[in-house]
Parts: sequence; C-alpha cells; structure tokens
Amino acid sequence: MIQVINGLVYGSFLYVLAVGLVLIFGLRRVTNFAHGSFFMLGAYVSYAAAAHLGFWTGMIVSVAALAVFGALLDRFVFRPLSREEPIVTLLVTFGLLFVLEDAVRTIWGKDYISVSAPEALSGSVTLFGSQFPTYRLFVIAVAIAVALGLAVWLRSTKVGLYVRASSVDPVTTAMQGVDTDRLSALVVAIGTGLAGLSGTIAGPLMALSPSMGGYIIIDCFIVVVTGGLTSFTGAFVAALVIGQFHNLGLVYVPEVASVIPLLIMAAVLGLRPQGLAGPRK
Amino acid sequence: MTLLRLQSVDGYYGGARILHGVSLEVGAGERVAILGRNGVGKTTVVNACLGIARVRAGQIAFQGQAQAPIRHFTAARAGIAVVPQGRRIVPGLTVRENLALGAAVGRSGKWNFESVCDLFPILRERADTPGTAMSGGQQQMLAIGRALMANPALLILDEPSEGLAPVIVDELAATLVRLAGEDTSILLIEQNFSLVHRVAQRYYVLSKGAVVDQGTVEGMSMADLKKHVAV
Repeated sequence: MIQVINGLVYGSFLYVLAVGLVLIFGLRRVTNFAHGSFFMLGAYVSYAAAAHLGFWTGMIVSVAALAVFGALLDRFVFRPLSREEPIVTLLVTFGLLFVLEDAVRTIWGKDYISVSAPEALSGSVTLFGSQFPTYRLFVIAVAIAVALGLAVWLRSTKVGLYVRASSVDPVTTAMQGVDTDRLSALVVAIGTGLAGLSGTIAGPLMALSPSMGGYIIIDCFIVVVTGGLTSFTGAFVAALVIGQFHNLGLVYVPEVASVIPLLIMAAVLGLRPQGLAGPRK
Repeated sequence: MTLLRLQSVDGYYGGARILHGVSLEVGAGERVAILGRNGVGKTTVVNACLGIARVRAGQIAFQGQAQAPIRHFTAARAGIAVVPQGRRIVPGLTVRENLALGAAVGRSGKWNFESVCDLFPILRERADTPGTAMSGGQQQMLAIGRALMANPALLILDEPSEGLAPVIVDELAATLVRLAGEDTSILLIEQNFSLVHRVAQRYYVLSKGAVVDQGTVEGMSMADLKKHVAV
C-alpha cells in the first residue's frame, strides 16, 4: 500500500507539471520541449531563493519568476512564431531547453544539489502501519489543490470560459471580442508558473541537477498524449496511472521500468487514438 | 451614421488577391445584402473585416473610425457581430456557454440570455446541452443568438440559410426582419434570393472579387435579383 501512495506522489508532481503543458498546448498549439527545463529552472530558483527567504517564500518566488518568464516567452517567442510551421516553434523550444540547461550549469554548477523539506513537513506520519514522510503527503495535497483550482477557474469564471473556447477555436473566440493574444500570455504564464511549482515541490524528492528536466519531460509528454493532449481531466487520470506504474515498475521490475509508461501510452492510443479524454475526431 | 465602410479594399489570403478594390457601406438602421456566386469573394469581405484576410490596399472603417491593422476582435469591440459561415459553434461548450461567449465584448443593451431565449425558446430548453449536439437550424439560432449577446449595432450574417430546410429559412427571414425593426443593422451575405428579397433594402453584387452592381431591392422582382447575380 505504501508503494501505491509513493506512486501517487510521483503522479501528483507529474500532474502539476503536465497540466501546465496541456494549458500551453491548448492555447498556443506549441509542443513545448523546454517545459522540462522550466521545471528544472523552477527547482533552482526556488533553491536559491529559499536559501535566503525560506522554503515557502522560495516557492512563491519560483512560481512568480517562472510565470513572468512564461509571459515574456509568449510575447516574444510564441506569438511571433504562431504564423510559422509548428516545427519551427518546436525547434526553438528544443534549443531553449539547451540554453536554459547551460545557463543553470554556469550559475549553479553541474553537481547534484540536495534540498531539504521545510521544517513543518520534515516529519513522518504512520500510514498502514509504516512511517511515511509528511512532505510526500504534502505533494499529493498540492496536486489536488491545483486540480481543484484549475477546475473552478475553467468552469466557473469568464476567463476560464474564454480559455476553454480559445483552446478549441481561437478564431471564433476572438470574433466575440476576446483578445486571444493576451489570453495566451496569461495561460502560458500559468503553465510555466506551474512548472516552477512542480520543480519546487520536486526539490526535496529528487536531487537538483541541470539535466533533471530532461528526464521528467519524457514522462510528462507521455501523460499529456495519453490524457488526450488538451484534456485537463485526461492529464490528471493519466498522471496518476503513469505515476503508479512507474513506481511499481521501479520496485518490482526495475530493468524495464522506464519502458512501462511508453507501453501504457501505446496501449491507450491503440484503443483510443484520441487519448483517454481527448475530443473524438 | 455609417457603421461599416469599405473603400477600394484589396483583400488577400497569403499572396492570392481575392478582393479587387471593393467599396461598400452599411448605414445605421440599414439592411444590406451582398450577392454573388460561390467563390466570388463574399466571405472574404467578412474575413477582411475580421482581419482573417489581409487588407493591402484601401481602407475599412467601423463606426467612422479607420481600422489598421484589423485584428480578429476589432470588429466585435466596434459593435459589429458576425454570424460566420458554417456557424462555428464552439465544440465542448454548452448552449448557455456559447451564448455567454457572445457577451465577451461586454456591450450593454437589450440582449442577454433571457431576451435571446425569448427570441429562440429552443435555446432555453437546451441550455445545458452541447451546442454542437443540436440540429443545423437550432445551431443557426444559437449562432445568431451568440452574435446578439454582443448587443451589436451591425449584424453580419454569412450565408445563414446554408444547409437549412425551406421552412427554417422562412423562420430565419422573419427573425431578421424583426431584428431590423429593433434597430439592428444587417449585412446579409447570401445566395438565397428569396431571403435577400424579404430582408434586404439595398444590395451589392460581387463578381470575381469586385463590386459589379448595386441598387435597391424595393420594387425588384426575384427574377430581377437572379438576373443581377447572373452577371
């Protein structure tokens, strides 16, 4: 049972990262290879800020810095490239991944860095007769809060309605008077801010390194594709499923653990080419 | 007051020139039609007003204000709502949400969810069903209702009778005449002569991307209108 909860933990921060990618893809139709490096950058920014300001302020600084970075990225990269072939934007984000990795390597070095959980969450609780780190439960709580927050925002607010409409038909949405460029900047900012949040909460779970984003982005893309590309619910379910199988694979069949998420994606796409919750073509 | 004026507009998709010096105008309270065969550039006139087709020469003015560059939302913010060809009901949104989207521009006026549903009662009955799950005629009502939610000064309808049964087209004509009587100006882009005859006061005929004729509908027979389109 503890392994199942560990799988939930991995699925949780995978969801927080992947849902940002879903938001960005929905509005900008950008396959953002740099999203993993935003996760990595968020982890480092949070680590640096936390050294002076503490974990919680570090988290806020990381989310805010990545959100501003995302808004600028949308304004000066995604928007000008929106009339180009998708491959152009894809290559630019791929290049950005290397630029950010090198920048972090230059500033913080290439050695692994350990980050401690905040004092309030550094203990453990008894779960199913075993000791379980409190911080890991906090990660699950963050994912639930993000999922609920996004659901309320998208379903109950005007801006959420415009985001849902624009992710399906940006031209018709704009024809109603919505400035879809400003909307996209907001959504990309939220998406990259969530990458910063994901990097921050991942810090105490995994050692920081400039290449940490490269590892996670593969699972992240698997979650997004399996979930149905633009579906928030699909991403949530896929993240939890991939998280479970990833974790159980590491425990019971470590030799093939890295292949399991790919096999799940292939199986889902074989049965439902549109993904778990993607719109049927 | 002129709500929409195109002055010698050349409209392009990429490098392809579709409109050749098109000039037309729609004044407050007017009901104007653009006639023409398939592929002569009627929808491009609408798309030029929406910034979808590029205007490389000439000028488009909304409510007397010249617009450059025109972005997709510019017309809506100037009080011009469009019922696009094919309706473009947003998938994944309910009828209620599609109507709410129409109010995004935030102009106040007599049209809101209740008054639109009074005009088209089926929209109230099916408010919580997906807009794309409705029949073609009902989707057309939704598309018109969505445009009305913007409380527009000018309503542009691009081939609204396309794919509709004759009895529904009759209802549509009655609705448009009623709307025109309530101070909403109309620019109707159509090939259905009967609809044009019942709704429009003036017309422009488009051929090969240029205006080749214009005049008033009053006193003209349907046969006359057909003759004009057969230029």
